[in-house]
Amino acid sequence: MDMNEKPKVEEKVQEVPEVEAPKLPDTKEEKLVAEILKKAPYAEGSVRRERRVEFKVPADRIKEFLELASEKFEMLIQISVVDWLKEGEFELVYQLWSVSESVHAFVKTRIPRENAKMPTVMDIWPVAETYEREAHEFFGIVFEGNPRLGPFILEPREYEKHPLRKDFNMIGYVKTIYGEDFDRYDESKTNYVI
Amino acid sequence: MSERKNDDFISYELQEFKLFEPLFRWARKKSLWIVAFCTGCGGIEMPPLATARYDFERFGIMPNPAPRMGDLFLITGYVTPKTLKRIIITYEMMQDPKYVLMHGSCPINGGVYWDSYNVVKQLDKYIPIDVAIAGCMPRPEAVMDGIMEIMRKIEDGTADGWKRYKENYEYYRKNQDELFGEGWREKDARRWLAWI
Repeated sequence: MDMNEKPKVEEKVQEVPEVEAPKLPDTKEEKLVAEILKKAPYAEGSVRRERRVEFKVPADRIKEFLELASEKFEMLIQISVVDWLKEGEFELVYQLWSVSESVHAFVKTRIPRENAKMPTVMDIWPVAETYEREAHEFFGIVFEGNPRLGPFILEPREYEKHPLRKDFNMIGYVKTIYGEDFDRYDESKTNYVI
Repeated sequence: MSERKNDDFISYELQEFKLFEPLFRWARKKSLWIVAFCTGCGGIEMPPLATARYDFERFGIMPNPAPRMGDLFLITGYVTPKTLKRIIITYEMMQDPKYVLMHGSCPINGGVYWDSYNVVKQLDKYIPIDVAIAGCMPRPEAVMDGIMEIMRKIEDGTADGWKRYKENYEYYRKNQDELFGEGWREKDARRWLAWI
């Protein structure tokens, strides 16, 4: 009996790597992703966890995809931007909320940093106007079709600089605006603190 | 009477009124009406200060939304350039004598926002400060201590920020114009005329 059991254990160990990532059981999220990917084969979709799904879409078809997704996802919660400096890309994350299914979706797309342009999604969700203005002010992305792009929250001189970009020289800018007398040194005035 | 400092900081029509100056100071000290300009996180510290536990009304302090009736200007946290414009206009709208109390380390030297592009580092370059309370955020006990301090300063006449603002107006005006650019009052304050 002992001799027979040992190889069984080894077999089990060998089997484990062959099994693919565990599929979620037949959940509403899986169904939702499958349904959207069936209509939009160019996108990649995955389920992160319960009530959270994620799509990756090429930038030139984002408008098409969001129109498709807006049948299921009635609300646009936020448009957030990530600045990937080394790749030279902005990652736009459209966060959608489905009221009927209670599912939160991230729709991610990447565009080049230089002369970043996107089509506006104001005709799908009118609330996108504010989020696009914010992304335009802080990152300099031009949303074509949004009529109110321009200085929004910040002072006009900061609007030109796009202060949330990673290559914005924060310390240099602060010193020119507020003076240099706020530097943090320790008591002996030799070591720069922070 | 002659030993007291800054005895002449209010010009009376009748010189005899000077006799009542100690009475006026006592009255001012006991009836500080505040303009609670709740910027930053200090606005959250105001409710415990105002309610039963620390109850600042026993010192005669009353929250008051109108700057024309206020004596004490509370600046309760970090100040952005956009807020600073409103602070300067509100401060200039207040009647003399007026006192400024600022909470927290952000208005003193930037605090945790020391490298932020959008937070004013030293508030006392732009308006005069009478009492500053350090801390992030100060507890209500510390704020009460600051209020006691400003009451003491009012009584002995050293809370003279409004007087310094008049005397050194060019200095403060120069700093403000450096930050906002020339002519910001005409450009920005014009839009608020409906509320003033």
